[in-house]
Amino acid sequence: MGVAGEGESAIKTSGLGMVYNPGLFAHRKVGLQDLDLTVPRGSIFGYLGQNGAGKTTTIKILAGLQFATSGQAWIFGHDVQDSRARRDLGFMPENPYFYEYLTGAETLHFFGQLSGLDRATRSRRTQELLAQFGLGSAGHVPLREYSKGMRQRLGLAQAILHQPPLVILDEPMTGLDPLGRRDVRNVILSLRDAGQTVFFSSHILSDVEDICDRVCVINKGRAVAEGPIHALLTGKVLEVSLAASGIPAQGVPELQGLALRCWHDGALFHVLVDSEEKAQSAKAALEKAGGTLRVIQPHKESLEEYFVRVTEVDGG
Amino acid sequence: MIVPVIALNTFREAVRDRILYVLLVFGILMILISRAIGWVSFGGENKIMTDVGLGAIWMFSGMVSIFIGTGLIYKEVDKRTIYTTLAKPAERWQFLAGKYLGLVLTTLVSLVLLSALFLAYLWLCGAPVTAALGQALFLNFVEMMVVTAVAILFGSASSPIMSAIFTTLVFFAGQLTKWVVDLGFIYQQTHPWLDKLLHLIYLFLPNLHNFNIRREAVLATQARLHMAIPASELMACTVYGLAYALALLLAAHLLFKRRNL
Repeated sequence: MGVAGEGESAIKTSGLGMVYNPGLFAHRKVGLQDLDLTVPRGSIFGYLGQNGAGKTTTIKILAGLQFATSGQAWIFGHDVQDSRARRDLGFMPENPYFYEYLTGAETLHFFGQLSGLDRATRSRRTQELLAQFGLGSAGHVPLREYSKGMRQRLGLAQAILHQPPLVILDEPMTGLDPLGRRDVRNVILSLRDAGQTVFFSSHILSDVEDICDRVCVINKGRAVAEGPIHALLTGKVLEVSLAASGIPAQGVPELQGLALRCWHDGALFHVLVDSEEKAQSAKAALEKAGGTLRVIQPHKESLEEYFVRVTEVDGG
Repeated sequence: MIVPVIALNTFREAVRDRILYVLLVFGILMILISRAIGWVSFGGENKIMTDVGLGAIWMFSGMVSIFIGTGLIYKEVDKRTIYTTLAKPAERWQFLAGKYLGLVLTTLVSLVLLSALFLAYLWLCGAPVTAALGQALFLNFVEMMVVTAVAILFGSASSPIMSAIFTTLVFFAGQLTKWVVDLGFIYQQTHPWLDKLLHLIYLFLPNLHNFNIRREAVLATQARLHMAIPASELMACTVYGLAYALALLLAAHLLFKRRNL
């Protein structure tokens, strides 16, 4: 039946694979192949990939909704096919759907009952979460009248209702405005501060970069990069932008061949170079031409640029 | 706790669904119309009223089981409401059992309401009311437990339209099992393979004819008797119905337990 996973990992997968429609005449589609993943307890783990890369497939296998065709996965040492694994799990699917005929409060009560919460705890947590997610006045409104953003927030509320040690969120920021995304980021951070583990997928890489401890990039069903963000983003400077006053519109001849681009916006003369060394040379050239340096801004590789680079290298 | 929670939620869904009230109004109208049908029978008014009323209740409960039952599982998968439910520590068999019991509860409550109205209407119209009618209504309920299980089985594997078609076919074919056996007997000598085939079909089809004691109940009530069939036969039919429903639910579980959602 396989070896139990390590107790200190919230999630562990070993050789996880998923092949769809392996029948005689059906086209074989590989959803996942040989995925080895370890999510440490008490961390925020970002799971990144293009559409169709295998993120939702992985999440559905972890939530017990799909069955891997090869390999194994564990949640806190329990095989994901064991219902004990789901006792420690709070799950929010992408674009969560709930029973339209239930109100927000009834929905939370229902999921609270399924999670084994007693009546008093359910009532308390329901009131707390409805207030926390700005749904207090909509608690007695049927879900068919909820907006997309309200459903998203309710989805997050039901996932953390029973305060599970592990929370898995599939695209939790989808459909939220900037304020809503900020609130979700704050909730995720507070979960980690409380010792809970959060595993989530997202296309909004700036949010992932802000809050995640570790990320994994998946492409065509395989993990192509994984590790702490500070280790993946080497801090290498990709470009440096400079801006100086007192330079005429025709520019500085010494910058030709040095700069990627130069332009004058009417007030400042801007220069873009592709290394810190060239930035020093550009600075010297501007000052020699009588200019006064106002801005010198290095641009390091962002998570988004890293993501594009590794997926393109992998033939994404 | 999982099964009762899902069952009560399913009951709540059915109660808040308009289709149940449409069917209930249809059932009530049929009961009320039964008196008018009885008027044209020249002396058999009470018998006709009772017969038509029992038939209306049977038809109503059959439609509830088929039309609500066949969509129960499909809707959950299609609308993806099942994702958050099964991500809780709920086994798939608990989910199926909860959905089944929820619809059975809906059928029971609807049947009790409609039966109470029917019996009160009979009493107000001066028609006889005996416990024999209660036997018929009880076996009606057991029959619907089987039909609901058929609906859940087909609903676990196909779309609501196909499930409704197959369940309706089984619903009506199950009334004719006696004739299936008789037909096989007729061809026993000339086409023994046909006899065997028909016997095989008979074995797999639910023998819903067993639960139809409406005629016996009407005759017993007209004769002011309180039993349409002996208690032992009632018990045997009930055990048969429960066993068949359980077998169907086990088959539904086999189809559903490894289904990728």
